[in-house]
Amino acid sequence: MSDHWTGRLSEYLDGELNAAERSELESHLAGCQECAKTLEQLRQVVARAQALEDRSPAADLWAGIAARIGTDTRDAAVADLEEHRRRRGRLGQRRLSFSLPQLAAASVALIILSAGSVWLLSRTEGPGAETLGPTGEPGATLVSAPAVSGFGVAGYDAAIAELEGVIEESRAQLDTATVRIIQENLMIIDRAIAQAQRALAEDPASIYLNEYLAATMRQKLEFLRQAAQMAGAAS
Amino acid sequence: MEDADEVTQDVFVRAWQKVDSFRGEAAFGTWLHRLAINVILGRRKQLGIRRERFVDGERAIGRLPENPQGAEAAIDFEAAMELLPDGAQQVFVLHDVEGYKHEEIAEMMGISPGTSKSQLHRARMILRDYLDR
Repeated sequence: MSDHWTGRLSEYLDGELNAAERSELESHLAGCQECAKTLEQLRQVVARAQALEDRSPAADLWAGIAARIGTDTRDAAVADLEEHRRRRGRLGQRRLSFSLPQLAAASVALIILSAGSVWLLSRTEGPGAETLGPTGEPGATLVSAPAVSGFGVAGYDAAIAELEGVIEESRAQLDTATVRIIQENLMIIDRAIAQAQRALAEDPASIYLNEYLAATMRQKLEFLRQAAQMAGAAS
Repeated sequence: MEDADEVTQDVFVRAWQKVDSFRGEAAFGTWLHRLAINVILGRRKQLGIRRERFVDGERAIGRLPENPQGAEAAIDFEAAMELLPDGAQQVFVLHDVEGYKHEEIAEMMGISPGTSKSQLHRARMILRDYLDR
């Protein structure tokens, strides 16, 4: 095995060699089975790392956060619509509101608990720890048409598609972490929309659910607008 | 409390304290993610996390069970990652798991991009031995 080339295999794998170096290494790989085998093993290592799944918090962390920032937790009610539906009988038609700290806390928990972030702290949870699927809920499909920034359903879909197209075209120019955050936040919003739609299917008259769905759809539109603006500026 | 839960709270509290310093130069999510990574790296240093660390990669990796399957394989891969030396481990997680670029990792960890590259290669070569068992 050539020590010189073995030391460059990761750079080759990551596309960081210049054209001449890449060509020279590929010529070497054609005649060196050991280096070719090592390269394949390195590919497998990277694939394993990328396949690690995100983890959700083991418990609701809001109470601890609220205590540390001195915020009242008495209204830290339900941020989950399924839970809201289960409690609906008790709560009647009372409208739930979400404080900024609550929403921010939920976002933080969802954003930072990526596989690597948690893992970096060191692996302390056992094999039975709950995990989030790699992709979460499938993208939301509109089943009702609350007023969303003046759009009808078709207009809303077209606007969403156009903005997603702009972001996709500029993806290569965006910072890696930014792309990741955009994807994660879209996934969270789509999950919330899908959840609201499921709840609405069972309780179509709920004012709260209708307003919540409309607000979440507007949130997606606004988020995509901002992301597209940022993507446009980067390209 | 699990360390991961505790550090999640730390991140939010830090974000709460530092949000005034967010100037909008990057997306808020990017700022928050960076802040989270910084909190986690600082926490590691503070806790002095020094478990059984790599001295002889092949020997350490060789102590793990052979041919794990399915979920067990993922857990075992994480166990192998845990045996990496600190610097290589952090770069590996930030690059291959989190998807950061070497320039970004260098900035976060206070090292050069070249060091980040060599640490990454070192980590991958050690973990390659795990897959090759």
